[in-house]
Amino acid sequence: MSEWPAAAVDYVQAITDTKLVLGHRYAQWSLAGPSLEDDIGGSSAAQEEVGHVRQLFRKLESQGRDGDWLRGERDPEEFANASCLDAIDGDWTEYMATIAPVDRAAWYMLDAIDRDDMDGMITKMGEDEYFHLEYHDARLETLADENPEKLRSTLAETLPSALALIGPADVDDDADPLVDAGFTSQSVEGIRERFVDHYRELFADTDVSLEDVDWDAPDADAWDETRRRVGGGGVREEDLVQIRGERNAEFAIE
Amino acid sequence: MTGTTKYAVFGRRNEGDDTLHLGTVSAHSDRLAKTYAYNTYDEEDWNYLAVVREEDLLEVEGGNVRREVPQ
Repeated sequence: MSEWPAAAVDYVQAITDTKLVLGHRYAQWSLAGPSLEDDIGGSSAAQEEVGHVRQLFRKLESQGRDGDWLRGERDPEEFANASCLDAIDGDWTEYMATIAPVDRAAWYMLDAIDRDDMDGMITKMGEDEYFHLEYHDARLETLADENPEKLRSTLAETLPSALALIGPADVDDDADPLVDAGFTSQSVEGIRERFVDHYRELFADTDVSLEDVDWDAPDADAWDETRRRVGGGGVREEDLVQIRGERNAEFAIE
Repeated sequence: MTGTTKYAVFGRRNEGDDTLHLGTVSAHSDRLAKTYAYNTYDEEDWNYLAVVREEDLLEVEGGNVRREVPQ
């Protein structure tokens, strides 16, 4: 496999770490849904995200990233997951309003990659993601009806976090190094536009106001381009213990 | 969009096969019912998968036809 630009490795790392923590969150909440169907949907998404992560790890290893480091042998501050996934402490509405924008943002970023040697993998992931995103939107529609205030206040936090994962607004076609290198076919600005348009349209005829959302986030000067977020923080140590599988290490198949 | 509706789920393994009744899901909307059906009945790579609101199923009713048994 040919060598990617350093910025492309960081870009795929952020998608991968986001999917890694996302899969973990899906699994953690998969028995807490309001119905059996929601639990099955969450469990199914968890398995698929873990499958995507496995494939992406292989790609990153081919670009020189260490396998053990990828699988969790690192500090929380070395993970480049979307910041809103660091912890989800609220109720099921907050959970759904957190994972939905992040899963969509990560998919749009993957979908923007324009490489023949990743095309088949991304197409397959897209088949899985279609049902993740359909499920999220269908659920957000029902929650907009049942719990609009909680949905509004959570989205005011999570949409800017997902936008930070995508990147700052000033990274347009002329300023996007990945477009310039031919790694992606859509600039950060284009991905953001697709993302923002989707949520504006989804909530247009609902009681959920998106007026409080900072659609200009992240501030380019404060943005960490490696971790694709603003500010520090990271997943908790107990999450890392689970992600690494530390307590079950003795059962690992070498 | 309040309350749940029961949906019957139908699937077909291959084109030309019979469409089978797989089970049911309960959902708040048609859109949600389709994703529930996809996730819940994913034991096969269905060639066709559909949901129908149970209230839209039309029962085929008929009286008891008197059998004329020849003597």
